[in-house]
Amino acid sequence: MSDRLKKIFAEKLPKTKLVSYFVGCYPTPEISLELIKEAINNGVSILEIGYCTSEASAEGPIIKAAHDHVLSNGHNLNDIIKLVKDIREYNQDVGIVLMGYIANLYKYPISNFVDDIKVAGADAVLVVDAPHELKEENQLREALNKNGLSLIKLVAPTTDDNRLKDIVKIASGFLYQVNVSGVTGVKSANEADVTNFVKRIRNLTDIPICSGFGIKSPEDAKKMANSGCNGVIVGSAFVKYIQDNIENKDLPQSLGNLVKNFTEELK
Amino acid sequence: MTKNSYKTGPNELGYFGEGNSAMGGMAVGETLMPVLHELNQGFEDAIKDQSFLDEFNYHCKHYIGRPSPLYYAENLTKKLGGAKILFKREHLNHTLSHKVTNSLFQVLLAKRMGKKALICESGAGQHFSATAAVAAKFGMPLTGVMGDIDIARVNQNIIKAKHYGAELKSVPGTLKEAITEAIKTFSSNPDYAYICGSAVSSAPYPRIVQFAQSVIGREIREQSMEQEGRLPNMLIACCGGGSNLIGMIHEFLDEPEIIKIGVEAAETAALSNGTPGIMQGMKTYMLQTDDGSKSLGGSSLGAGIQYFSVGPQHAFLKDQGVVKYTSATDKEILEAYKLIASTEGICSALEPMAGAAELIKQAKNKPKDYLICLNLCGTGEKDLNTIQEHIGKDFE
Repeated sequence: MSDRLKKIFAEKLPKTKLVSYFVGCYPTPEISLELIKEAINNGVSILEIGYCTSEASAEGPIIKAAHDHVLSNGHNLNDIIKLVKDIREYNQDVGIVLMGYIANLYKYPISNFVDDIKVAGADAVLVVDAPHELKEENQLREALNKNGLSLIKLVAPTTDDNRLKDIVKIASGFLYQVNVSGVTGVKSANEADVTNFVKRIRNLTDIPICSGFGIKSPEDAKKMANSGCNGVIVGSAFVKYIQDNIENKDLPQSLGNLVKNFTEELK
Repeated sequence: MTKNSYKTGPNELGYFGEGNSAMGGMAVGETLMPVLHELNQGFEDAIKDQSFLDEFNYHCKHYIGRPSPLYYAENLTKKLGGAKILFKREHLNHTLSHKVTNSLFQVLLAKRMGKKALICESGAGQHFSATAAVAAKFGMPLTGVMGDIDIARVNQNIIKAKHYGAELKSVPGTLKEAITEAIKTFSSNPDYAYICGSAVSSAPYPRIVQFAQSVIGREIREQSMEQEGRLPNMLIACCGGGSNLIGMIHEFLDEPEIIKIGVEAAETAALSNGTPGIMQGMKTYMLQTDDGSKSLGGSSLGAGIQYFSVGPQHAFLKDQGVVKYTSATDKEILEAYKLIASTEGICSALEPMAGAAELIKQAKNKPKDYLICLNLCGTGEKDLNTIQEHIGKDFE
């Protein structure tokens, strides 16, 4: 379990933590770092830094386009870990979660990956396509736990209570509550569904819950914060903003303003 | 999987083999995990239900037209002057390929499990048109996902599927992109049934497809004993994801004296040129960058075998040395097509002609009493434009 994540959720303020997803090295490694610094300056509690895979199976069109951009520029997981190191040098308090797919980790391979991200200053890893049934998930979880890092587990609307119990038992850092069935950045989350889901999880565990998928605006974030979750996760909305303003010289500052619009609603 | 049989796997989590070298598994997002466990349970229940199996067998006979003939290719045998050659004529099934048997099985399973709508992916469009036909017969709506490159080259299957009432979703690319998009569509609609067309993807699909298609091998055993008084010495089939190959050889996996050969497209030969990796729900051999970030692979004329990866059971059988895997180039595929069209009057799909290319090499050097069976898993109608473009002038 990551001490830094524990500390973040132990703090009273902000009341609801903003977890923001950025595609690492998008649009370039340099600009990516500047964007993330501004996100930190404007109150992000936890960063999810995405590393890219060509056959990513949970990404909607917005994040897929960003992945393809990074892959065609030739940036891989090594560059993302370098980015994590730069972020950690800039700030020692923000939580950093590496997020992506098992394909890259398997080839890295897993044991070296955990060593390298620990040195770089990451706190946790989230692997979209590595359920606890997968051997490599077991290897990764064991290596992370041994090193004081967390494997972030996901629960989805399709996850029944028996399965939820199994996942809660192995969860570390926080639980990623997937609000809607589907890919990133398409459907919108429904407040009542999210609230009921949070309740269902809360009956089983005290671990922090971060609610993600389908949160597109500061207003959405505020609504979801009322569900009783400890954090809200915003991904496609930020990636889309970056995509739409990619030529803008003031992009880091204006993204920072957008992040602030979210954090203001979560104080 | 019991240690003394290759026919009993995979284990309950979808692994073929033991320890870190095990292939397969379930590498999908949490949204689909409960759905796939439910599917596995539904499958295990269904295959213990004799009335379900009777229904499947009934439609295999009356709708598909099984068993497909085991045909003595006399002219080709004489022309090559070596082994005696048999074709398992899966191209004579309804919808003109082996795919329909799997579509029928999975659609019946979906109905049994109370599913109301279907999704499928397709490369050559054979699985799309087959699933569309079965979906029409059983009154279920179907969305098929295909790559735009494939849509352009196998137009006839698309037209037929449309007539059967199926919807088509196009994505840029080929089979690889169609599979990833089908998984996304399934994740967005987890109450649908995903009818997976090959022995690929997360568990339980490789096992389900193997179960449905293994009727091919059982028929070969019966027909060969009846017609030839003995079993083939060698079985050959093409291999993209590997459904027609596993269907042919599964029955014979514990008989090492029968040689089994799978033939991939040379441009996307995952088993010959790939390394183990985890993508598209499974651990298996695949062509990818060293860092695992990108799938690789060129293009083959055989749309259905142009796939950068391969079903996990084949990866396991390769590691165990139970099956030999090789590959054929576009040139070899077209040469084989010409030979079989002109000697036997059979217009085959290009995919099984990868198998035929290997058959030609093997048959020449074998004695006359050596029996080789090729799985002729699809018809050439879908490929006529491609064939005409490449070798049309050779026939003039």
